[in-house]
Amino acid sequence: MTASLFITSCSNDDDAPGIDETGDFANGMFILNEGNFGSNNSSVSFYGNDGTLANNIFQSVNGENLGDTAQSMLLEDDKAYIILNVSNTIEVVNRYTFESLGTISTGLVNPRYMVIENGKGYVSNWGDPSNPDDDFVAVINLSLNSVESTIPVTEGPDRMEEENSKIYVAHSGGYNYGNTVSVINPANNSVSQTITVGDFPNSLFEKGGKLYVLCGGKPSWTGDETSGALFVINTLSDTTISSFDFPATQHPSQLVEENGNLYYTIDNQIYTANLNFTSLPSNALFSTSSQGVYGVYGFAVENGKIYVGDAVDYISAGKVHIYDLSGTLETSLEVGLLPNGFYFND
Amino acid sequence: MKNKIILLCFLLGFKLLTAQNDTIQLEEATLSDSYFLRFSETQSKIILSDSVLERNSSSLTSLLNYSSTIYFKENGLGMVSSPSFRGTTAQQTAVVWNGININSAFLGQTDFNTVNPQSADQIIIKPGGGSVVYGSSAIGGSIHLNDELKFNRKNKNHLSANYGSFNSYGLNLASQFSTGNFSFNVKAGRKGSDNDYEFPKTGEKNINGQFYNNSLNIATGYRINRSNIIKLYGNMYDGERHFSLISSNATKTKYHDYNNRALAEWNGFYGKFISKLKLAHLNEEYRYYPTLETKNFNFGKAQTLMAKYDLGFNLNKNIFLNAIIDLANSEGETDIYSADRKTCSASIMMKHQINRKLLYEASFRKEFTDAYEAPFLYSFGVKYDLANFYRITLNTSKNFRMPTFNDLFWPGTGNPTLKPETSYQVEIGNQFYSDDFSFLVTAYYNSVKDMIRWIPVGSGLSAPENTDNVKIYGVESVLNYKRNFGKHFFELNGTYAYNISENQKTKMQLIYAPFHKATASLGYSRNRISAYYQFLYTGKIFTDSTNKNELDAYTVSNLGLEFTLGKEHNYRLGAQVLNLWNEEYESVLNRPMPGTNWNFYMNFKF
Repeated sequence: MTASLFITSCSNDDDAPGIDETGDFANGMFILNEGNFGSNNSSVSFYGNDGTLANNIFQSVNGENLGDTAQSMLLEDDKAYIILNVSNTIEVVNRYTFESLGTISTGLVNPRYMVIENGKGYVSNWGDPSNPDDDFVAVINLSLNSVESTIPVTEGPDRMEEENSKIYVAHSGGYNYGNTVSVINPANNSVSQTITVGDFPNSLFEKGGKLYVLCGGKPSWTGDETSGALFVINTLSDTTISSFDFPATQHPSQLVEENGNLYYTIDNQIYTANLNFTSLPSNALFSTSSQGVYGVYGFAVENGKIYVGDAVDYISAGKVHIYDLSGTLETSLEVGLLPNGFYFND
Repeated sequence: MKNKIILLCFLLGFKLLTAQNDTIQLEEATLSDSYFLRFSETQSKIILSDSVLERNSSSLTSLLNYSSTIYFKENGLGMVSSPSFRGTTAQQTAVVWNGININSAFLGQTDFNTVNPQSADQIIIKPGGGSVVYGSSAIGGSIHLNDELKFNRKNKNHLSANYGSFNSYGLNLASQFSTGNFSFNVKAGRKGSDNDYEFPKTGEKNINGQFYNNSLNIATGYRINRSNIIKLYGNMYDGERHFSLISSNATKTKYHDYNNRALAEWNGFYGKFISKLKLAHLNEEYRYYPTLETKNFNFGKAQTLMAKYDLGFNLNKNIFLNAIIDLANSEGETDIYSADRKTCSASIMMKHQINRKLLYEASFRKEFTDAYEAPFLYSFGVKYDLANFYRITLNTSKNFRMPTFNDLFWPGTGNPTLKPETSYQVEIGNQFYSDDFSFLVTAYYNSVKDMIRWIPVGSGLSAPENTDNVKIYGVESVLNYKRNFGKHFFELNGTYAYNISENQKTKMQLIYAPFHKATASLGYSRNRISAYYQFLYTGKIFTDSTNKNELDAYTVSNLGLEFTLGKEHNYRLGAQVLNLWNEEYESVLNRPMPGTNWNFYMNFKF
């Protein structure tokens, strides 16, 4: 989701001279299918603007498996970066043809998400699950496709957003629960500031000089349930402007922005609010339960459509449901296992 | 003469009724699993022969894979291995050690690569439901690991060693010592492998797949007098496996299993009564190291204390009655939760030999527990000898699989309201036999309700629910044939199964349940030389419940040659070419098995 927003804001780059924008996958949307943990069956599906669906495109173009547990993807210039969590690798492909351009295979431990700032890649890593103190953000040399340095951070760095020459890292907490956002200064690759937010910050975006951070709260089974919260942070001062608490048992996730509105999900319900909101919406925009969705696994809002990824029972082919902005179902697709993200290539 | 008659009757399946009591006492003294002796006549069973055990000794997976219709889902050679017996799930096969169910309290299943097949004297495969006597998980079938205690004044020692490709080795010592009143049986084993085989398709190496394990099994018995026997059994397994990497940069991990169990038993034979009191302690421990470099680990430890009283009664020469009371207390602890469960069950069984040709068995069990809603179970079967070469059996039963500790107690998602899975089944067996030939064909139908599945519940979590109903039906067959032509001895064993396991909602086949499986082994020997060929065919399986992705069918063959040496024929040297035709195959998605490889072995009896 972070990446899709990123693409929207960087769409001018696509028209840069010297980039050949032709290929089978030049116009449409990639669906990242996480696959089963430990099964090496991650895949990418492509849904063209002409309505055609192609599953397993990395395998069909390159003749090999993509890897194990695809966490996220990032489109930049003419490349796509696919972050494979269990494989500890990043596959680099041409975003129009999906031909493999290389693999970043050393220096990553449980990689999660990637952003690009100042010509460098920044990748959040959870490190050893049993060690809360070895988590880091890897700095990637994009011409060599290698890790050139690491920035130690507190446990569980996850989704990131770059803005105003700063990188905001939400610490969902990895194998525990975090409650901070680290601010990395790319000029010296160090953490310049730590902003305390609610428990389990799981998604974020920046718009109009404000960083919106959605915190899921701790679930009830931890024995220490906390409510979800939405934090709004000033990106000049890096201080909290306001925060909004959810009712005690609601645990929101998947915050995205489109066209002046924010969207998020709670279990299988979709919520929306205008960015000028003064309180959180009390009613859902719509529910995906008619499609049999238990919980939204992947989510995006783009060009007037709402995209929902459904992992079904984890061992079935995943589904993608596409709705209009009022929640009317338009199309359903059958994709790879555990569709967790949408990335728009146009 | 009497022994010969007993043997003959045993082979032909008749009970010589006048000798029944003596025979029963002899068998009951030898084996602990008395229900097997008393109440398993209306279903088929396959007793694996010594030569089968000797030739597939590397793991319980390989042993059963090449000699039965059970499909194994093996995460690469020597890694985690779970069965699908008659098209059921991994938690629907019970593994039974000397009559006690030893499936993991955490997972409800046994990893077939954490049992050394050479730590048992006898391995029996029993397809079909058996929950009334063996409890949870005996749905697809059960695997029985038995120790024998003989009071025959003999002293036997058996040393075996093997070495092969990938630096794989095994060393096993078995000793039996007995007097007329005392019997002692010990088996110790060590196995290990670098397991760094090359994947036949890509040429990549299996990384981080090394393992070793030690096992020790002791059984001892003392006949106090004609009527009373005391027996003690103990088993220990200690194994460390590195988990092989599925992609070459993945984080290296390892897993340590430590299991031990003890069983004390007092058998009394008092006229028409057979009384057995059993006390058992089971301990299972694991440690999972999520990153090799650090010494941090996740752990689990479960202990079960069990007491069982079993009273058998010969009402008359044709009717045998049996009552059992069973108490068990299990406590588990892991790094993230703790759990406990108390169960109590009462069973009543009856066998009635109506005449020389016809018998029936009926049994009932009710379990009482605070952990789940325990079902009432039954089994009813008939055996009829229609001719001296043909027998028909009919059996119907209700069986269950209880929710595991993980299902019930996992923080946040464990579901304390889960019901057990239940299975209603019926089977018809046809057995054709003669002195050198037997052919068994069984048709079965099994309706499994309330299957426990972990499904997404939002926020990236999944939780167990009783969701699926599955209809399973199929046919399995077993063929055995032995024949001497002068000095030439031939032996042919084969199995074939056709199975449908259909989810009733989606009408799709269950994942990792093949439609077809076949095995065959052909042996030939002349004087001191033997040769054998083993064959395994597994049909395609689906890896996702929408049946969109499949693993190809595969055929694997092994070839072996053996020489018997020594004046008393007490040395045997053997060589095996495994996967002779270098088949590229996987029984689990993206987990390639080795290509052609070698094994050499030596057996020495003294």
